Amino acid sequence: MASLETPPPERAIPTAEEYERMQASPEFAELRKRFRNFAFPMTAAFLAWYLLSTYAVDFMSQRVAGNINVGLLFGLGQFASTFLITWLYIRHADRNLDPIATQIRDELEGAR
Amino acid sequence: MSSPTGIAAVVLTALATVLIGMYGVRAARTTSDFYVASRTVTPWWNASAIGGEYLSAASFLGVAGLVLAYGTDMLWFPVGYTAGYLMLLVLVAAPLRRSGAYTLPDFAEARLESSAARRMASILVVTIGWLYLLPQFQAAGLTLRTVTGAPQWAGPVVVAVVVLVSVLGGGMRSITFVQAFQYWLKLTALLVPALFLLLVWVGDGRPELATPGSPVFEEPTSVEVTIDVTVDVPSQISVVADGEPLVLEPGPHEVSAGTVLDFPAGAPIPHASSLTPMTGESWALPLTAGGDHPLYATYSLIIALFFGTMGLPHVLVRFYTNPDGRAARRTTLAVLGLLGVFYVLPGLYGALGRLYTPELLLTGRTDAVVLVLPARLVDGVAGEALSMLVTAGAFAAFLSTSSGLTVSVAGVLSQDLLHGRVRNPVTGFRLGAFLALLVPIGLALTSPFLGIADVVGLAFAVAASSFCPLLLLGIWWRRLTWPGAVAGLLAGGGASTAAVVVTILGGPQSGWVGALLAQPAAWTMPLAFVVMIAVSLGTQQHLAPGVNRTMVRLHTPENLDLNRGDWDPEDRWRT
Repeated sequence: MASLETPPPERAIPTAEEYERMQASPEFAELRKRFRNFAFPMTAAFLAWYLLSTYAVDFMSQRVAGNINVGLLFGLGQFASTFLITWLYIRHADRNLDPIATQIRDELEGAR
Repeated sequence: MSSPTGIAAVVLTALATVLIGMYGVRAARTTSDFYVASRTVTPWWNASAIGGEYLSAASFLGVAGLVLAYGTDMLWFPVGYTAGYLMLLVLVAAPLRRSGAYTLPDFAEARLESSAARRMASILVVTIGWLYLLPQFQAAGLTLRTVTGAPQWAGPVVVAVVVLVSVLGGGMRSITFVQAFQYWLKLTALLVPALFLLLVWVGDGRPELATPGSPVFEEPTSVEVTIDVTVDVPSQISVVADGEPLVLEPGPHEVSAGTVLDFPAGAPIPHASSLTPMTGESWALPLTAGGDHPLYATYSLIIALFFGTMGLPHVLVRFYTNPDGRAARRTTLAVLGLLGVFYVLPGLYGALGRLYTPELLLTGRTDAVVLVLPARLVDGVAGEALSMLVTAGAFAAFLSTSSGLTVSVAGVLSQDLLHGRVRNPVTGFRLGAFLALLVPIGLALTSPFLGIADVVGLAFAVAASSFCPLLLLGIWWRRLTWPGAVAGLLAGGGASTAAVVVTILGGPQSGWVGALLAQPAAWTMPLAFVVMIAVSLGTQQHLAPGVNRTMVRLHTPENLDLNRGDWDPEDRWRT
């Protein structure tokens, strides 16, 4: 988000037309594509993982020791997997999204 | 626990909340703007504050109660609460930050350029907020009653007064500090007693948590009923009721408050009629919980929790208290870590409660398991101290979540409903805060007591069926129009709210109808998506004129200096 201090004077505030042009530009399409190509399959994959781990009742019901069954271990594993997916996403965003986003910003603000 | 200790715990938590709030105000006043001040908050503190706000009565008390009654299936609640944050992060958080909208109505207005969409979103924020506040107040009533014997109305009133004082005194400015403190209090309050409980359990020779058959009283047990309850007696039991021998015949029995029942060892436990009895076997296994369609119910619950988090009014605003998107992502990772650590504990309490406090199945107050376990297992001063700790943690849960929700609902009420009627914005906000608390308190005192986590689950279902489609389509689909959005919010939000109202007022229904009403998200969320898309396609002439510009704004880096117009969502809190 924009810093609240007065921006350096050479930074141009883009006009509506420049926004329109940006919307149609290949960089912008690439940014959205990179984001979608990661976020949407990842979302689908982890939803499938959660929903399937509910479905496989017989497998989940196998006892490991005492009252501990496979489902219980998977339940704990789900906290770990949620954390892992988040970490993967953050790495993706840092490596693949931030550079191109910065590039777009530089182009848009250097436009005048 | 004795009354003085319980009262002391409540008073100390309330005092700490108010004092830290006041300190936070002083710290924030050194800078001119609240949001500049909040940007000096590190991701770690910010994550603690998010955790503090998010872990409500449902997490602190409700999940353990559900695990006690229904076993492993209920672990989906904590998993869902956590995974919902991931959905929020991946799909919504960054674009929403960039939109410059601080609240969901702000987003609806900015994206769709329509005041009708804004009003619809406002109504839903208030609905969800009230629905989420209701169980917080009921839980406060339960807690105060359990630990001090105070009447049921006392808890909600205490929480409301403390929230009102801290919200009116400090507004948004002080809340980050208060909530960060409250996360650590809540974690300590569950973790420390849990270690003692585990020691006792190991010392007992690690007895099996649930014997395979129906639950029985392992030892002669005396149960004092504190609130009128109807119990279903499974088979003939000879008990002693208030000192008189009595034979309970199979079937429903009404037990009035104040009755003391003494059960012999080995007697089957009569369950409160609000609970579905489970054998130890099915308690330990997944997909065997009560209800006619467990697979549907579980899926629907998962959908509600995963997709509902992004639509909770008090959660989104927290993503603004980070300096940039990178820090926001770091914060989320820390939040997931903090939530994961916390959520291991409620399941433990529920499981140990099945073994050590089975009489809660009779009184139906399973949500109290966290409060009663420590004193039951640990004797003397140590037990007293641990009870005090969990009571303090429970009140921290009510206070933090209620404060966040009250601020969100009050902001919406003052801006969209009182605006124009009250000249002074501060007066409007205060009036809004008052209204935001009044309605759920009224509901808490009059409506029947449902499981805390169940009602919160319903609030998630409404959020998933209204704001989730609005946010996902608004961010990712250019062709969403305001009539489409309003129609979808009305269909999904309306249908899920109706299902919730029927469930709360009419009690659980049986068969498919019951399953569909008790867990509506699996059909109301797709309904909202379909209506939103279909109506939008039919009303393309109402496409927002600035949609291209909005889309660029949502998807380009946020450190870009954007022309956000002269509208400032923070105006309402400025004095």
